[in-house]
Amino acid sequence: MAAIGTQELQSLVKPDRIHRRVFVDPAIFDLEMARIFGRMWIYVGHESQIRKPGDFLCTRIGREPVILSRHADGSVHVLHNRCAHRGSKVVTQECGNTKRFQCMYHGWTYHTDGRLAGLPMQAEEEKDGFDFSAPDFGMRPVARCQSHHGFVFANLSPSGPSLVEAMGEARHAFDEFVAAAPDGEVELAGGCHRYEYRGNWKHQLENLTDTYHTVATHASTVAPDGTQFKRRTGTKGTDVQFYDREKRPVILDVGVTVYPGGHSSTESLFPEGQSGGVWEEYRALLAARHGIERANELLTQKIHNLTLFPSFDLLVVQNAIRVILPIGVDRTEVRIYPVRLKGAPEAVFQEQVRYVNLTHSASSFVQSDDLEAFRRQQEGVESDAQEWCLATRGQKRERYDNRHVGHGDKTTEIGQRHQHQAWLDLMCAE
Amino acid sequence: MTAARKRDDVAAASALITLEGRLLDEKRFEAWLDLYTEDAVYWAPAAIDQPDPDNHVSLFYDDKPTMRLRVGRLRHPEIHVQTPASRTCRLISILEVGGDQGGDGYKAISNFILVEYRPGFEQRLYAGTYEHRLVRKGNDLKISWKKATLINCDAAFPAIALPF
Ligand code: FES
Ligand SMILES: [Fe+2]
Repeated sequence: MAAIGTQELQSLVKPDRIHRRVFVDPAIFDLEMARIFGRMWIYVGHESQIRKPGDFLCTRIGREPVILSRHADGSVHVLHNRCAHRGSKVVTQECGNTKRFQCMYHGWTYHTDGRLAGLPMQAEEEKDGFDFSAPDFGMRPVARCQSHHGFVFANLSPSGPSLVEAMGEARHAFDEFVAAAPDGEVELAGGCHRYEYRGNWKHQLENLTDTYHTVATHASTVAPDGTQFKRRTGTKGTDVQFYDREKRPVILDVGVTVYPGGHSSTESLFPEGQSGGVWEEYRALLAARHGIERANELLTQKIHNLTLFPSFDLLVVQNAIRVILPIGVDRTEVRIYPVRLKGAPEAVFQEQVRYVNLTHSASSFVQSDDLEAFRRQQEGVESDAQEWCLATRGQKRERYDNRHVGHGDKTTEIGQRHQHQAWLDLMCAE
Repeated sequence: MTAARKRDDVAAASALITLEGRLLDEKRFEAWLDLYTEDAVYWAPAAIDQPDPDNHVSLFYDDKPTMRLRVGRLRHPEIHVQTPASRTCRLISILEVGGDQGGDGYKAISNFILVEYRPGFEQRLYAGTYEHRLVRKGNDLKISWKKATLINCDAAFPAIALPF
């Protein structure tokens, strides 16, 4: 790979703009796979998806196919999905349960922790002096794997900060999300939505912290009275207010917070929290565990979503996670998984499943227009008519505290600027 | 059930399901809504053999008010994902009509192929199975439940704006 020098990279990011090339140049994409997806903590799956020994699922870290597995002793492993023998991809099923992984080509088999279990005509080769217990003959584990509340992240690089260190100041919001489960635990239980678009993965990333686009992009979801369709049952916090009675676009008042490491969160579109119906039963369950004050606090979500750079998003309001899987410089897949808050009424989960269909599936009212935006962005930046993409809004009004946590108010593009800087820092690290 | 009654049911189901496909292809969405009962469900699972729409995500899981919202959005001048709008053409082949539901309703199973073209995009092809539950309302036959299962319903999709 022809290396792209630090100076060249620095010339692509200015405080208030980013060069079109970062969205269209395959060499930049290759470098991102090495320096961002090859060095950061990348989400691979949740432990609840591999509950029993032998359970596994296949996914990717950047372009690297990997397997998340539960070994016989209960331990969790992330393995490169590649045969030690002559390199075939070993597992092609998306998920399942198995005693051993078997490569179809010459029939080598592996334990679910990656160690070689056996191969045809093994005895003959052993007579020739081969020691098949050497790591070279196993499926290679990914360098590091750590989990937080059961969410497993893996890192292709053996060195660097731990997962919790990398989350840093963003961790608090993650923990609050899980604390909203009356049992203090969450699981993935409702399958996943998958969508893809012809566009760079960073269009989706930037959109996760974009509180400026809603009125224009999602115009078709707003009723004449200024509210969006119903997103929940209950009496409060059921639908998003786009405009107030004076036709002011109040949805654009939402601010953005950024945390060291490129992470960010947006303020909740339901600042009053939700109440009524099943939410009262849920509140009572939380109160029984934490007291009513804390229960009320947990049900008044302060943030809408928490984005962990580069590819993981907690949809706090929807109780779901979103994972970005880059495929190529102009092709991206995204998956949305509903999260079940253990101990909450069944109806709360079913409601989340139902509403995430309307907001985040490929056929949803909301996400489909975001997908249209990503595709048009890609078409736009493929032209070299203009070099820069601007992210100027709110630059004069942003402020940082002594923990380097930054905040921007309505329609700010602090989130995009922050992501661009994190991107540049990572890309420039040799 | 008499053979004559069975023949009538097959003919009526076939006519209704064909009409539904045509109304969708011709973008007569309001007339399409009228084919459904007020308590109807329109469901497109997101997994093969998905047991129910309550505990697993679906591409579509709409009650009648949600179907109306969807049609309202399709008529909205700023639905960007349909600017420009798609053109569709579907072929439907009835496989089976039966399952007498207490005399006032029955089921129909059919296969479909749906081709979608949106100017500026590659033509897209969907294929799958429809299951309809039909109920007699006076002299009318209405759809009370429809499930559209795509053979690739668990794949990653580009934006989908139109019902199957
Ligand atoms: S390549 Fe896997 S067994 Fe030979
Ligand atoms: Fe959006």
